[in-house]
Amino acid sequence: MIELKNITKLYALSKVDEVRALDDVSLTVKEGEVVVLKGASGSGKSTILSLIAALSKPTSGEVVVDGKKVSKLSDNFASIFRRDSIGFIFQKYNLIPSLSVRENILLPLVPLNPHAKDAQKKLSEVMEIFHITHKADTLVKNLSGGEQQRVAIARANVNNPKIILADEPTANLDEKLSLSFIEILRELKSLNKTIIIATHDPLFFNLDFVTREIAMHNGTLQL
Amino acid sequence: MKSKINIYFIEFAINAILRQKYKSLFIAVVFVLLTFLLTSVFFITNSIKYELNSTLDSLPEILIQKTKAQRHDDINVAEVDKILAIEGVSDANARVWGYYYFENIGVYFSIVGVERFENQYKNSLSKIVDTYELDDAKNPSMVIGSGVQKSMQKSYYKEYFNFIKSDGTLKKVSIAGVFDADTNLESNDMIVMSKETAREIFHMPESSATDIVVKVANPNEVATVLAKLKLLYPESRIITKNDLKVSYQNIFNYKSGLFLALFVISLFTFFIIIYDKVSGLSSEEKREVGILKALGWRVDDILVEKFYESFLISFFSYSIGVGLAMAFVYIFQAPLLRDIFIGYSELKPSFELPFVLDVQTLFLVFFLSVPIYIAATLIPSWRIATLDADEVMR
Ligand SMILES: Nc1ncnc2c1ncn2[C@@H]1O[C@H](COP(=O)(O)OP(=O)(O)OP(=O)(O)O)[C@@H](O)[C@H]1O
Ligand SMILES: [Mg+2]
Repeated sequence: MIELKNITKLYALSKVDEVRALDDVSLTVKEGEVVVLKGASGSGKSTILSLIAALSKPTSGEVVVDGKKVSKLSDNFASIFRRDSIGFIFQKYNLIPSLSVRENILLPLVPLNPHAKDAQKKLSEVMEIFHITHKADTLVKNLSGGEQQRVAIARANVNNPKIILADEPTANLDEKLSLSFIEILRELKSLNKTIIIATHDPLFFNLDFVTREIAMHNGTLQL
Repeated sequence: MKSKINIYFIEFAINAILRQKYKSLFIAVVFVLLTFLLTSVFFITNSIKYELNSTLDSLPEILIQKTKAQRHDDINVAEVDKILAIEGVSDANARVWGYYYFENIGVYFSIVGVERFENQYKNSLSKIVDTYELDDAKNPSMVIGSGVQKSMQKSYYKEYFNFIKSDGTLKKVSIAGVFDADTNLESNDMIVMSKETAREIFHMPESSATDIVVKVANPNEVATVLAKLKLLYPESRIITKNDLKVSYQNIFNYKSGLFLALFVISLFTFFIIIYDKVSGLSSEEKREVGILKALGWRVDDILVEKFYESFLISFFSYSIGVGLAMAFVYIFQAPLLRDIFIGYSELKPSFELPFVLDVQTLFLVFFLSVPIYIAATLIPSWRIATLDADEVMR
């Protein structure tokens, strides 16, 4: 379960100027839910995701995930929390272009120093699920956009996280690929993952497996 | 904590090095150049120092040269007996030696005279006297150093050589052999022949010698013996081994001092270049650190990876630099650099730089380069890794 309690997030632009990215936001997402966060650019969608992943800290308020106050975690424990619990899918995929598909998907496991066999097993599994096995040794920079997105999804799932956070996952995909991404989400939902998607892509609106759509405006939720 | 090394980090590090081809290549080249230069100069100075010390160690404790009007003059052989009478003196030898100018090539050789039934003041000479019969008056012969042999061969003298005496006539001396002496530095330009032949070439009467060397059994007695000798020969120049050592080392230290100053400058430049390269981590690298953190890497994980990265590239470059320096100094005999350290006029002509396995230098150069480089790369990486990682979302 994910809880945001009265979150305010300010970004300093200069010594005197600041942006109120989130303004007193409270939100609870239950296990297994699929939540779509929609809203105009700058409304604060990405900020919510980064707070849940403990990539940044709220200016005030608290983020609690599975009873753990992640907004209070030290940098080290925040990393461990992400490693164990969060799979992140970014808009720009954030892959390392000069590494192969296999090497990119392996990245979240590297600090765990797994046995070669275990690592191989996990890799094959996710590559199979997300249909990228045939490109395992191709460098990411030589892949199409859709393939890169599948690598990013495989990477987000390799550590078998309970929570998947996706930030504008279809922004660089055509409609066909976007629809197949939505099918992938459906599969993930059937695996009982908690999924939060930040998007303004209308393809995500009114989907049968989405439990809630939340609109955002200027750092607040339109409930 | 697992004690096992994480080879995934190492793989990632190697990949990262190869990924940033130009940056890595640039750093490697600068690094190789610096370690190469540093190691070469240390190798050369150590090699020469070693050579100098062993040469000086084989010198007699005390040397007496007669002077006349402040210039060197021959000494009377009879003085040897007076000197032997001094308490503390264990041996004294009258030497006959001098320089011979070899016109065809324009170099000086030193001729040293020996006598079969005399105590030799140096081991190398005893060996020669035992091996060769040099004092056959009808067919005088000599043993020469390899440098001398080379020069003579250039002028097509293979079996004998014609020395030009001071009265203009020729003295034919046949070559009995080429010797390997205690050390290179002194042997290369040396010619050993009988005292009789040497005297003839130098036009020296039988009662005279070039100088007298004195052995003192107990090194603590050198000062006392020296004082007595000074009383006995107030007009002569009396030189102790220590004096020589000090003056040689002074010349040498002066030169290495100049080099040390050069080093400090080049080292400084090196670190400015490196610092400039690494401290401005490119935005791509910053993004990469952000991605890794978002994927659950801890700051420690990032630093460990960066450590491998910088260790691999710096240790690799260090090894290449040291390898090149070894080849440069010991195989190619350090062209250019060695001339700076061995002036023709101050020491003897060509000699080989002996191989001295110099672990200290290897360590010194290692500690002057590798850890400093690693620190210079880890610090900026650490600064970036500790920043909030939400930058990657933008
Ligand atoms: N690191 C930062 N420094 C300064 N301002 C920031 C930072 N991150 C976000 N902001 C600002 O906070 C506000 C919310 O940003 P956020 O990225 O959450 O919006 P978003 O809804 O994800 O927008 P988009 O649809 O464009 O991705 C914006 O005004 C943005 O400019
Ligand atoms: Mg956003």
